Amino acid sequence: MQPKHHFLIGAGLVTLLAALGAGQYALDRTVAAQAKAAVQAPRFEVDPMWPKPLPNHWLLGATIGVSVDAQDHVWIIHRSSATLNNNERGAELDPPTGECCKGAPPVLEFDQAGNLLRHWGGPGQGFEWPESNHGITIDYKGNVWIGGNGADDGQVLKFTQDGKFIKQFGMEWGSAGSNDTWAFGQVAKIFVDKTANEAYISDGYRNHRVAVIDADSGQFKRIWGAYGNKPDDTNLGRYNPDAPPAQQFRNPVHCAEMSVDRLVYVCDRVNDRIQVFTPEGKFVKEQFIAKRSLADGSVWDIAFSKDPQQKYLYLVDGRNQKIYIIERQPLQLLTSFGDGGRQPGAFFGAHSIAVDSKGNIYTTETYEGKRVQKFSHKGLGPVTKENQGVVWPTRTSSN
Amino acid sequence: MKRTRNLLVGASLIAVLAGLGVAQHLLEETAAAQAKGSVQAPRFEVDPMWPKPVPNHWVFGNIIGVGVDTQDHVYIIHRGAGSLEPKEIYAAANPPASECCIPAPPVLEFDQEGNLVKAWGGPGPGYEWPESNHGITPDSKGNLFIGGNGGNDGHILKFTRDGKFLKQFGFAYASAGSNDMWAFNKVAKISLDEGANEAYVADGYGNHRVAVIDMDTGKIKRYWGAYGNKPDDTPLGNYNPDAPLAKQFRNPVHCAEPSKDGFVYVCDRPNDRIQVFTKDGKFVKETQVAKNTRGDGSVWDIAFSKDAAQKYFYLSDGANEKIHVFDRQSLTELTSFGDGGRQPGQFYAVHSIATDSKGNVYTTETYRGQRLQKFVYKGLATVTKPNQGTVWPTRTTTH
Repeated sequence: MQPKHHFLIGAGLVTLLAALGAGQYALDRTVAAQAKAAVQAPRFEVDPMWPKPLPNHWLLGATIGVSVDAQDHVWIIHRSSATLNNNERGAELDPPTGECCKGAPPVLEFDQAGNLLRHWGGPGQGFEWPESNHGITIDYKGNVWIGGNGADDGQVLKFTQDGKFIKQFGMEWGSAGSNDTWAFGQVAKIFVDKTANEAYISDGYRNHRVAVIDADSGQFKRIWGAYGNKPDDTNLGRYNPDAPPAQQFRNPVHCAEMSVDRLVYVCDRVNDRIQVFTPEGKFVKEQFIAKRSLADGSVWDIAFSKDPQQKYLYLVDGRNQKIYIIERQPLQLLTSFGDGGRQPGAFFGAHSIAVDSKGNIYTTETYEGKRVQKFSHKGLGPVTKENQGVVWPTRTSSN
Repeated sequence: MKRTRNLLVGASLIAVLAGLGVAQHLLEETAAAQAKGSVQAPRFEVDPMWPKPVPNHWVFGNIIGVGVDTQDHVYIIHRGAGSLEPKEIYAAANPPASECCIPAPPVLEFDQEGNLVKAWGGPGPGYEWPESNHGITPDSKGNLFIGGNGGNDGHILKFTRDGKFLKQFGFAYASAGSNDMWAFNKVAKISLDEGANEAYVADGYGNHRVAVIDMDTGKIKRYWGAYGNKPDDTPLGNYNPDAPLAKQFRNPVHCAEPSKDGFVYVCDRPNDRIQVFTKDGKFVKETQVAKNTRGDGSVWDIAFSKDAAQKYFYLSDGANEKIHVFDRQSLTELTSFGDGGRQPGQFYAVHSIATDSKGNVYTTETYRGQRLQKFVYKGLATVTKPNQGTVWPTRTTTH
């Protein structure tokens, strides 16, 4: 184990230097291309009227997961009443203080028109519902995976789309750290690889690793930390953009998404970087994004574009409140959109991102943002700005 | 004084009884009319793309005042950094800790297109900026009146619309209670009777009165409490919908709006009622709105419709998260719109309301709603529902 460890660090350093060089080269190339106005990137516009208003005076709490299923239905998970203030949930207080409002069930399904379909979730028989829900993923079989980042959450749950419990992997109170193979440490998100029937666990808010398990049995198959190192839970202190890059992930490890060419893109959120690995955990390359972002970091979640090659990668940044459009292979930033605020297309705590079969983007917001938003894919367009700000549709009525 | 007071109490009791009878009659009449499908009320649709996104990564805090001037420019006042979390105003840190965001200046002016025209406000020489801004009202000469409900705010400020200080009425730290003639106590809103050169002060979060002042000198000319009683600051405890109606206003007295036909409509917020007075403070009638609302109360702010007769008024209710549409003369609720939520047309603590010359409605939200929204007037329509929910425009584009 020890020699391998050193080898991986060595490989990581070499790759890092190479990546830095490539990054600089790519940057030069972009500037040149922009001079010719030749850089194209996917273009998006917010749909201010998606989804439709919820029934029953229901409110979303911190909305901390989104996934699109095979029918292009959009699934979200949120924290409901636990993250709502008393002065907005008067209808569920005892006695009620007003008609408005109450927390919606934690799992909600919407169709393409934005209609609410199934809704369920919460504690039940035979499983430990997370103290703090985090992440939702519909796998290739149509099952629903849920993580949790409450202080004691060490489990991942699997349900049918009707909310019937299937299996629990790991357990509450169970984690013994980043090299434990019994439980997790506050899981952020799950990705399921159809080819190998394996689940990639972003683990998480307490552990410092990617964990790969069998998607049916839950058996641990492999784990790794930053650069493919053996994960280590030593406290690294605060992220410092001027220090050498950390040799471990910082908490939270916030996503681990596999591309069609079988590369695993990991969100090392607070370290402001994406690290790319083979499915076996061999480090390939990394890229820093807005690397002067402190505290809660810039690299929150990733979704790939829907063309067969997944030419683009969309990265949600809940600190700078925008979505970056990145050319995936060179990890080259093309443009970004979004800004802070409460209006359509603006964000507070932009947290999770997913893409449907038409290439539309869905985002959710945590903190006091508490929304799911849709950004309609408008084809490719020339890049004219580094940051497009809030992307609104053109007015067609005379309001 | 004593005799006058008794007389007013007596008169108000008669008026209440008469009012209840009238209200009952109108309710039956309305029900009958609805059965015939003939009740008409103003109809509105939210404009999800108004105002335009503000520049400089500015964000709003609690927005606690809105007013429309004679050019149909819309002014808002908000509380900035004091009502925002550090993690949504990172860019205001020194050095900036991310690109997003910065509290906007407290006073902002928008044109009809939603363009930002001017932004200003804050402490300066010669006046005491409120500890907690509250209410903004333009006059026809291009000036603005601002109140404040911070712990020590006892004053009103008058500025030009460009932010030049004109005059301060009252003082911080000065109030000696609801019968004091020198200062106010946490003023919620100032409303104008320009024909008489008088301002009606909703006073407020500390006092329990309406105070009428000279618009130029600020001198208090008269004041009164609920039912026209001499105001009294004895704590009344929490509002109880099953108890007899309180003989005093509860804090806050949140609006005092003079109508063109010489009446003053007062928002007695936690008491869930509107009280109507003559301009001299003689009690005329009252009605309760959503009277089982506890805590924050239902009667937050009032704006009159823009027809010559001011046939309707619109009441913002930040506890039940909607706008009640009333027939003004009969104090009959015709319908309502809105619901809790973060989407366009929904509210979290809808606080202030104003109308423009075209009859459009503008609302602001405090707490973590923190938005300015526009509802476009769509003419009169038959009332079909007591609560219309979220009022969205019809889709004109296909996303």
